[in-house]
Amino acid sequence: MIEMLMTAIKFLLITIFSSALGLLFMGIARKVIARIQKRYGPPFYQPYLDVIKLFGKNAITHGFIFDFGSIMALGGVIATLFFIPLGGWYLYSMSGTVILVIYLLAIASLGMAMGTVGSGNPQASLGISRALTQMLGYELPFLVILFGLIYKYQTSSIVGLMEAQAGGFMNWNLFTYPIATIIAFIVLLGMMGKKPFDAMIAPSEIGSGPVVESGGKYLGMMMLQKSITIIIELALFVNLFLGGAENILIFILKMLIVWITATMIGSLYPRFRIEDGVLFYWKWPLMIAIVQVLFIIF
Amino acid sequence: MLTNYIFIPIIAAFFAYLLNKKVKYTGGIITSIISAYLLYQLIGLYGKWSLIQTINFSLMGNNLEFILGNNPLSWLFALMTASAGLLIALFSIKSQEKYDLSSAFNFNFLILIGSIMGVVLAGDFLTLFIFWELMTWTSFYIISGGTKKMAKKSAYRYFILSAVGAYTMLMAIIIIYNQTGSFAIGEAAQYLINLPTGKSLLLMGMMSLPFLTKAGLFPVHIWVKGAHGNAPKEFSPFLSGLMLKVGVYGLLLVFYLLPFFKVMENTISYRGLPILSYIFALFGAITTVTGTILAIRQEDMKKLIAYSSISQMGYILMGISLATPLGITGGLLHMMNHLIFKSAIFLTLAAVIYRTGTTKMYEMGGLIFKMPVTFATYLTAIIALAGIPPTNGFISKWVIYQALIEKGYLFLALAAFFGSIGSFMYVFKPLSTVFLGQLKPQHEKIKEVPFIMQLPMYVLMGLMVLFGVLPGIQMNIITKISSQLGIESVNYSLYTIEGAFGSWNSMIIFNVFTAGFIISLIIFMLAKKSKLVGLLDTYTSGEYMNDAEAYHYAYQYYRPFDRLFDNFAARSLTRAYESLANNLSKVGNALRKGIITGNGQTYAYYTVLFFVILAIAGWII
Repeated sequence: MIEMLMTAIKFLLITIFSSALGLLFMGIARKVIARIQKRYGPPFYQPYLDVIKLFGKNAITHGFIFDFGSIMALGGVIATLFFIPLGGWYLYSMSGTVILVIYLLAIASLGMAMGTVGSGNPQASLGISRALTQMLGYELPFLVILFGLIYKYQTSSIVGLMEAQAGGFMNWNLFTYPIATIIAFIVLLGMMGKKPFDAMIAPSEIGSGPVVESGGKYLGMMMLQKSITIIIELALFVNLFLGGAENILIFILKMLIVWITATMIGSLYPRFRIEDGVLFYWKWPLMIAIVQVLFIIF
Repeated sequence: MLTNYIFIPIIAAFFAYLLNKKVKYTGGIITSIISAYLLYQLIGLYGKWSLIQTINFSLMGNNLEFILGNNPLSWLFALMTASAGLLIALFSIKSQEKYDLSSAFNFNFLILIGSIMGVVLAGDFLTLFIFWELMTWTSFYIISGGTKKMAKKSAYRYFILSAVGAYTMLMAIIIIYNQTGSFAIGEAAQYLINLPTGKSLLLMGMMSLPFLTKAGLFPVHIWVKGAHGNAPKEFSPFLSGLMLKVGVYGLLLVFYLLPFFKVMENTISYRGLPILSYIFALFGAITTVTGTILAIRQEDMKKLIAYSSISQMGYILMGISLATPLGITGGLLHMMNHLIFKSAIFLTLAAVIYRTGTTKMYEMGGLIFKMPVTFATYLTAIIALAGIPPTNGFISKWVIYQALIEKGYLFLALAAFFGSIGSFMYVFKPLSTVFLGQLKPQHEKIKEVPFIMQLPMYVLMGLMVLFGVLPGIQMNIITKISSQLGIESVNYSLYTIEGAFGSWNSMIIFNVFTAGFIISLIIFMLAKKSKLVGLLDTYTSGEYMNDAEAYHYAYQYYRPFDRLFDNFAARSLTRAYESLANNLSKVGNALRKGIITGNGQTYAYYTVLFFVILAIAGWII
């Protein structure tokens, strides 16, 4: 009983920590983008205020599937979070393989997609159709790179892949497989919906796509989901390519560096059309990834 | 008595036909009772692996021996047949009330169940071939009874392709019989292993052709779309869920029980896999990719799911062609899981068709509020199909990935990844366009289907979650099968499976998933209660919108993606086969005109020529 209670408390603490960290990152990103555009920008704690405000507002719903979708989306990312090693914190990451994490993230996407399309707004459907198309673009090069890493290190657990890079920074995959890391970084941009690959949320075309009908607590939950998703994706990247970290502070620092780099790149480029984005992913990252992995295998 | 499993349904078929002509619903009830009886008997048969029954039969001085035998592989397929038959028969009792051919449907369906039992229990090739043909014929009649215009043409295409395969197999069987004097599978295996490699491979290639066709694999997959899309709505679940798997049974027979892999062992190999087996796996990969791309394009929901079946069969072929413990486990697991989730999907589509009468996705929308049980089943089934934990579909895909990565087959894995991510796209299309979105005004009065039709859906939903949490139940029989096929089995317990690079523990995943969901639910409940508004009360960029029909995004859902593959889709294999057939008949016509001139003089020349040839031949010999 005590053990179960402890587990429950651990679950809650990690959830709160990651969403707080994710919201902080979102605030920093707004600041960085503002400075690139020569604006002052909102304070870095603005996302916290937004979330608190949103949960206090009156909201409208479009039926039970709209509610269920938002619960499933947030629940999916929280469940995924427990399988990710964060610095020295391993919760269930020993038993979670990296393929599992990628598919667990899909629960959240499916929940969000279902909820927003359930609102009956065609702009949401358009956004989801674009998001799923783009997913087929970026997941393929990423999975091919993972294939290579798993084959090389003979383990598919994230902790195992992290420990394989132990012993000095020259063992990081960033330096042993720089091409693979660059590809994974491009994939990360697509996963997080950063600029060249943000056709699915395109605010000026389709009213922000999946977010179009959400207001009040639904938008608040979506922001929490977004913040945790950012942490999951960054943590995955840091663990797989930057050697992870034993210390949570160093881990946060590594994530922050990746995040700011991604944000800077994201604020420089214009948007890809959806099929051009997919074609880009298949033409360059995928082909280079295949060549890289063939080198690893043979 | 193993003959019971075959002949009880076949005899019952006649009663079902006659009674259903008199009283409505009786056909479906008889079919359900017979399938339930078979299921009950089969459960009792578990463990009796040495049961063999032979029937001797004398025909014109030739002594023929028919052998039926029970082994883990046959038992699994027989069990799958009986359970799929039961669920579909229950569903069809009510769903066929307005269907004119329901007597004929039940007649054929019962014979079909009996003949599949015959195929899987057969211990010799003669029995197998007889019931194989019976299976093809009865399913042909059922498909051609579809209410759509194209039903007859699709059934014809299915039949022709099956017949070509079946007669190729018949030739191989007769050649083997000529040499060994026996039809038994064991003796054929003995004979084939001692033959020169080339001959043996040719014979086994001929044998595998009908099974490849039945399993809907590249390059003979072209019948699947038409037959699945146009068959009666109750039959599509059986056709896709089960009949494709009978092809897999045959392939397992050829690959492992006939010594295809043993013969292959000494030939050229690629990364430890004989090149011909690799080619089979590559066929699986091509099947997966083709099926996925074409499924995303479809506007007809039954055809979409038919292409998805093609794509999933590719996974199974990849799994069983690898001949590694993980590969065969993954293939068999995926086969069982595919039966469950694909029948569930087709049943929900049948329920939708029963209520709306259309299969075009853009003619529907917003059915979730009218048919919640159907929606819940569809949702669970697509989560399983897309391979998302914690349902059964993910486990089998995970095992197949492990098998592919273990050996380092990059291109096969790439196809598997493509099929898996692509499946998110195509399963979401019916979800979004049929169940979600705006409700059409003409569908305002639709109700959920009657309880008897919901019952199979509940059962399938339960199975998807059960096997998602406790895959050990399936692993019991799979371990027995792999030892029968001469492959080592993987380590497992009730809820863990040992992969090549790490193990799978579905209990932890299920618990963590529940925990995440509860935390999210608490956050949702803590916030203020929200106000319910209608589906038309949305953000419309300032437009005034009152027409639900125009406000539903359904037609060409993935147009940007489809644009990438327009050229690929235009180059249809069906059309290639058709033009080949046309050219052949043109050549035939030209030859006929040259030889049969209608002139008596020419025929006189032929006679003389014939005698000259005879004379020359006699002189040489």
